[in-house]
Amino acid sequence: MRYRNFIFTFALSFSFITIGAPFDSTYAPQNSPIIFLKNANIYDGEGNELLGYDLLVKNGQIQAIGKNLLLNETGKVLSYDLTNQWVTPGIIDIHSHMGVYSAPGVKTSSDGNESTSPVTADVWAEHSVWTQDPQFSLALQGGVTTFHVLPGSANLIGGRGTTFKNIQSNTIQGMKFPKAPHSLKMACGENPKRVYGSRKRAPSTRMGNAAGYRKAWIDAAEYRDELNSYVSKSASAKEIVNPPTRDLEMDTLAGVLNGEILVHNHCYRAEEMVVMIDIANEFGYKITAFHHAVEAYKIADLLADNNICGALWADWWGFKHEAYDMVQENIAIVDQARGGKGCAIVHSDDAIGIQHLNQEAAKALAAGNRAGFDISKARAMKWITLNPAQAAGIEDVTGSLVKGKDADIVIWNMDPFSVYAKAQKVFIDGNLMFDRDNLLTKPVSDFDLGIIQPNLSRTE
Amino acid sequence: MNKIHLITVFIFSLSFTLNADILIKNGNIYSGDSAPFIGDIYIKDGKIHSIGSLNIKASKEIDAQGKIVTPGFIAPMTLIGIVEINSLDVTRDDESDYLNMGFSIFRAYNPNSTLIPWNRANGITSAISIPQQTSMPLAGMGSYFILDGNMNISGSKDMMMLGRIGASSGSRSEDLDLLENLISLGKLAKNRPYEKVIESPIAVFFELLIQDIEALDKVANEGLPLVIKTNRASDIKHLIDIKNKYKLNMILAGVEDAPIVIDELAASEIPVIINPMDNIPDSFDELSSSLELSAILSNAGITVLFDTSRSHNYHLIRQGAGNAVAYGMDYLDAIAGLSANVANVFDLKDRGSITKGYYADIAIWESDPLEPASIPSYVFINGIESDLTTRSSRLKDRYIKKLDKK
Repeated sequence: MRYRNFIFTFALSFSFITIGAPFDSTYAPQNSPIIFLKNANIYDGEGNELLGYDLLVKNGQIQAIGKNLLLNETGKVLSYDLTNQWVTPGIIDIHSHMGVYSAPGVKTSSDGNESTSPVTADVWAEHSVWTQDPQFSLALQGGVTTFHVLPGSANLIGGRGTTFKNIQSNTIQGMKFPKAPHSLKMACGENPKRVYGSRKRAPSTRMGNAAGYRKAWIDAAEYRDELNSYVSKSASAKEIVNPPTRDLEMDTLAGVLNGEILVHNHCYRAEEMVVMIDIANEFGYKITAFHHAVEAYKIADLLADNNICGALWADWWGFKHEAYDMVQENIAIVDQARGGKGCAIVHSDDAIGIQHLNQEAAKALAAGNRAGFDISKARAMKWITLNPAQAAGIEDVTGSLVKGKDADIVIWNMDPFSVYAKAQKVFIDGNLMFDRDNLLTKPVSDFDLGIIQPNLSRTE
Repeated sequence: MNKIHLITVFIFSLSFTLNADILIKNGNIYSGDSAPFIGDIYIKDGKIHSIGSLNIKASKEIDAQGKIVTPGFIAPMTLIGIVEINSLDVTRDDESDYLNMGFSIFRAYNPNSTLIPWNRANGITSAISIPQQTSMPLAGMGSYFILDGNMNISGSKDMMMLGRIGASSGSRSEDLDLLENLISLGKLAKNRPYEKVIESPIAVFFELLIQDIEALDKVANEGLPLVIKTNRASDIKHLIDIKNKYKLNMILAGVEDAPIVIDELAASEIPVIINPMDNIPDSFDELSSSLELSAILSNAGITVLFDTSRSHNYHLIRQGAGNAVAYGMDYLDAIAGLSANVANVFDLKDRGSITKGYYADIAIWESDPLEPASIPSYVFINGIESDLTTRSSRLKDRYIKKLDKK
């Protein structure tokens, strides 16, 4: 229930300044029909493979999952016989820049990096999101129902990230995942030191990076303490003392120290990740996930021991020096660390990759099993569903097909671990958002309206 | 199509020891240019000696057990051997300081690059490496390399030229003019001393050197393959006209807007190189980008080759081809796009197909090669079994030992 605690403590700590959080989600699912999926093969996102099961959706939530379910519903029911088809939770990408690096990728849409200062904890990626990015619809057609948008990696501390449902809306608030916590994007290594070093300012080295994070956390701890000391004062004392001056940067960092904002840390090299773990321990915050982490396999046990997820690619490498030591077994090794206690996530960081996370998971799974692990497809499905949900702090409401969770569901025409598999139908909160059998359902952004026959396959 | 007569230097390093003859039994053979069949392949002296139901004794026999056997795949647009780490200038040799069209990457090729074993272990046995795009519509020349890692480099030097037409800070209209002017300069260079040609105003203006003129001569007069990256429908149409006007051996890469001009493109017989997975309208030049592009092109009779947007992992053209099939491309066309089509389009002699007398560049796959999760169990280049060890596999072996496996 992490996200509910978050709302509670957030309101508590800042109630002296503002009532409720600004930019709250306004997304409310439409009334969804009762949906009955029969005879499906299911990867439930919890690690189970359920062959020939039924699944019932009611009020936008998963109502039941089992063999030969009896349908006792009156009224309209959308019923599908899914013999030989596969059902999974909606796919979740924990690392996306959709909306902040929209298509077309022109400079006027380049809104992902506030690379004007190495610490920009005050910026929120969601404030850059262009709701008409045509990439959202493409991701939906790849089965993606939820994605987490992060600022880029130019800065040591790049700002807040936000989780979205893949809903068509012309407001950012209308797409935001209700009650999902914010994240904080941090970045190690080459990017910050290159961006700022080339301007002859700090950081220009990895040691400069480390100093930069620590300075920011020292300030944040001080701000948090002042805030706590003010909040704990009696009402009469508050009348004679001014509250600390509000600081957007410090709001975010204090939110991390209070456990309300989840740290997502771009970091490739093993030793740098361990430095970051020490910094987190020094200042008393937790790292939720290392992103990209091409060398996570070198410290997989340590990640498992610290309950840190690795959000990883299946095979990207070589574009930077810190991405040189790629092994295709990275995801499997992180997953299997400490006897399977690791948390592995397949992420995209890419508008093409996000559409094929199932294929990326298939590659990582095959590489792992070839290396001697015995990982099931059902477990590998967690890498693109429940594990990213956990890293986004929304695992109580989505990421797997269990009773009471949001009905974020994908029907695949075949086993999704094949290159030939396609998301056939995609539901969000029990509403059919994309149906490959009826391309008129395909969300068409305002931008796409300029394109030939936008409702059909663009080129038909 | 133009007849292709390459004058490029073919350097056949015949240093590969002509040792073991090999018999591959019971392969499900996808030759690259024909329907699959179950059969045997006998490899002798580095070449495919015979194919069929063979009753031959060989010093090495491999039972493929009905698994898919393909030609080693050929990646047509790579940086293999000329870039080690993209963000590190000192490991990049794909940019010229002073040449234009005449820039050759050939001697930059490093047979010890880690990209070679990596791509080879994933089924790529040869590749074309290309220079970086410049602000000119025509950049430098690419070379073809056999990925055997041998210090005696084999392949084909300066066997294509690269260009681009599309969105830029200037005007594409001027770029198209410049392209025509450069081709005309190449026409002019036929049977004229290059020293004279570089005195022409356009050569002087762009500070072209002898090497540039020589390269233009090959493109304009000798049918050197000219690969132009372009996407917008109107640009494709203009380039078709230029191809016809100057009788160029033109290949178009990208072509995300091609469906709009599909009839004209098909009639032009221009082959294309596409990234089948790139359905992102990345620029205003490619707004009709879609996953169906491969199928639309190939169903119109257009020869399709594959590219990938990922650096280093050029073998991912297989994943691209798999997605192309998922979205309607014929499976055999997709296999051809990874092998025989590349050889045909670039006139790579005796490669790209499992054909009697061809070099034995062959992969035996653990399962469907268009499934990206699948890798080859065996790779042969020039009839020699490749070591599938890579730097990556050594790293894996070092660290995986420390873990408890289930």
